[in-house]
Amino acid sequence: MENGFIILFGLTMLYLAATSRIVSHIRLVALQGILLFLICACNFEHQNALNIAFLTVETLIVKSIVIPWFLFKVFKRAKANRDVSANIPHFYSLVVASIILILGFLIPNYYNASDTMKMISPIYFGVSISTIIISLWLITIKHKIISNVIEFITMENGIFLLSLSVAKEMPVLVNLGVLLDVFIAIYILGLFINEINREFKDLEVSNLSDLRDDNND
Amino acid sequence: MINTILIFPIIACILMGLIKKKAFDCAMVNVYAVLHFVASCLLACGIGKLGNIPYFTVDNTNIIFLLVLSLVFLMVAFYNSNYIRNLEYEDKKIGHYSFMIMVFVLAMTGTILSSNLGIAWIFVEATTLSSAYLIYFNKTKHSIEAAWKYVFICSIGIALAFVGIIFLNIAQGDINTLDFAQLYKHASAFDPFWLKLAFVFMLFGFGTKMGLAPVHYWLPDAHSEAPSPISALLSATLLNSAFLVIIRVFKVLDIAQCDKWARIMFIIVGFVSLFVTAVFVYHIKNYKRMLAYSSIENMGILAIGTGLGGAALYAVVLHLIGHSLAKASFFLTSGNVLELFETKRIKSINGLMSADNKTAWLWILSFLAICAFPTSILFISEFLIIKTMIMQGHLLLCALFVLLLTIVLWGIAKVVIKMTFGKLSEDKEETVRANKKKFSILMYLPQVIMLLLVFVLGIYIPPFLNSMIILATAGF
Repeated sequence: MENGFIILFGLTMLYLAATSRIVSHIRLVALQGILLFLICACNFEHQNALNIAFLTVETLIVKSIVIPWFLFKVFKRAKANRDVSANIPHFYSLVVASIILILGFLIPNYYNASDTMKMISPIYFGVSISTIIISLWLITIKHKIISNVIEFITMENGIFLLSLSVAKEMPVLVNLGVLLDVFIAIYILGLFINEINREFKDLEVSNLSDLRDDNND
Repeated sequence: MINTILIFPIIACILMGLIKKKAFDCAMVNVYAVLHFVASCLLACGIGKLGNIPYFTVDNTNIIFLLVLSLVFLMVAFYNSNYIRNLEYEDKKIGHYSFMIMVFVLAMTGTILSSNLGIAWIFVEATTLSSAYLIYFNKTKHSIEAAWKYVFICSIGIALAFVGIIFLNIAQGDINTLDFAQLYKHASAFDPFWLKLAFVFMLFGFGTKMGLAPVHYWLPDAHSEAPSPISALLSATLLNSAFLVIIRVFKVLDIAQCDKWARIMFIIVGFVSLFVTAVFVYHIKNYKRMLAYSSIENMGILAIGTGLGGAALYAVVLHLIGHSLAKASFFLTSGNVLELFETKRIKSINGLMSADNKTAWLWILSFLAICAFPTSILFISEFLIIKTMIMQGHLLLCALFVLLLTIVLWGIAKVVIKMTFGKLSEDKEETVRANKKKFSILMYLPQVIMLLLVFVLGIYIPPFLNSMIILATAGF
């Protein structure tokens, strides 16, 4: 059951690589939040009440409701519907993302026998690392800054999954601080999207390349 | 004492939110600066070290960083009180500005004082978020671009640093801690493979914040678009606090006997930083960007010194103190130049000496301090680093180091001399004279104090400071 959710989580990244509609990207972020909650819920019997409460709030409320809602608000104001002009066609980006994901499945299983890997479960580890890599790679090829923010969020989700893969808990204070920081970062990026939209009239990354060494201003 | 430094700004921010008076906001920043300085001096004397909030501590290493932060913040606050008087913005915006300065300094103090890697991570990310508004302060197209790049690149960098923290957790085996003291205690039992991997992620993650070369892209933009006092704070204190987190992690590798790997990484990153500066400093057309590149260079020197180890560690601490003071003074003086000429273009500035000779002298002296002209403290530190390289037999590296430094020096010197001398063009004379009237002594005095310290410390390091630096190197 748990592994099924993790594989679904990995597959959402392929969907992200293959589509261009920003609305469906935002829905995908919400879906990832729910999947992360389900993955956590499979391990709830081993954890204390404080951690369960925290994980529920983090995944179910913040990651799958608050952040997507905020992104929708930004999206409506920005009126950027599609991110069509990515550097690489969607078919090829799907192929590359699939290769990264498959390697993510294979490599940790291959090294599973060694002593150092006994701390972590290979499927968690592989999917989370490939999520992080796919997100970073998508950031470099997409042209709309709102999709860059969405990929930043999926990268944070990948890191969250990675932290679940370690069979140890961080102090709640640290988790809380991390959540707060990430949330504020997304909030600030959202505010900046509005400002950029007002100042430049559209949300192309290429608008933001004026500051260079050879620029006279 | 730590409680005072950390809790005062929170109370002050709440009060600022309630009272909403421009004069009160500005006064609060100054009060915090003085309080911060007094508290750090007391902590340095060993008073009030006990009874702290958990997760925060003062030890021999971070006290140097705290003192540098306090001193630079105090000077910047003096400068700032005159600087904001000249700004033509509404009171509300100035209020936000003062508010965010408090939060920014609080976040940096938190980073420096935290005794737990997780808490340090949270505060490093908090510095990014709080300074984003300060960089965006002028609300032009360029400042949006700079602030966007800053928040986005640094957030990704810090996220990767968190991956490093998770790997460190894997490396620990059955132990589960992020407390630095505990990490040092158990370090020898850690798994070397995961520890090395964790270090790479953290070096590049926190290195993004520190401005090390392959991940420095936000730095020139942010430093050149921020208001000058903020540039001074960013360059002289923010980069240091990220560096502190890196050396804390490095210490874990040192104890676990994986330090050879870490040292090679430090030296590579350091030389790439020097190389990038040497290449880019040539065709720069904006003098604040030039100063930002010089910060990248100096961070590279710190990384190289840490990688060398031994006597170079003493040099690293000296270099850190000297660079912070000299660079803060350089950035504040660049603020004066910007106020006078109202442009950041090197091409349009000539004859600074005839425009305002006090600013011109500060400009030249800051340049001499940063390029390690003898009796500047940076001379001693760079000399010691070169000496360590020769002693360890890295002659080729030493030659490369000197060559790159010379190229950077030439690049900066060309610009500084071009701006300072020559004839002031007639169409500028009017604006310059009008702008000069806004200056008070507070726009010169902080730089004078900092430069005086840099040049005096190059001749005479008092015994108490000397022993503090030696104790601090134990934390590397």
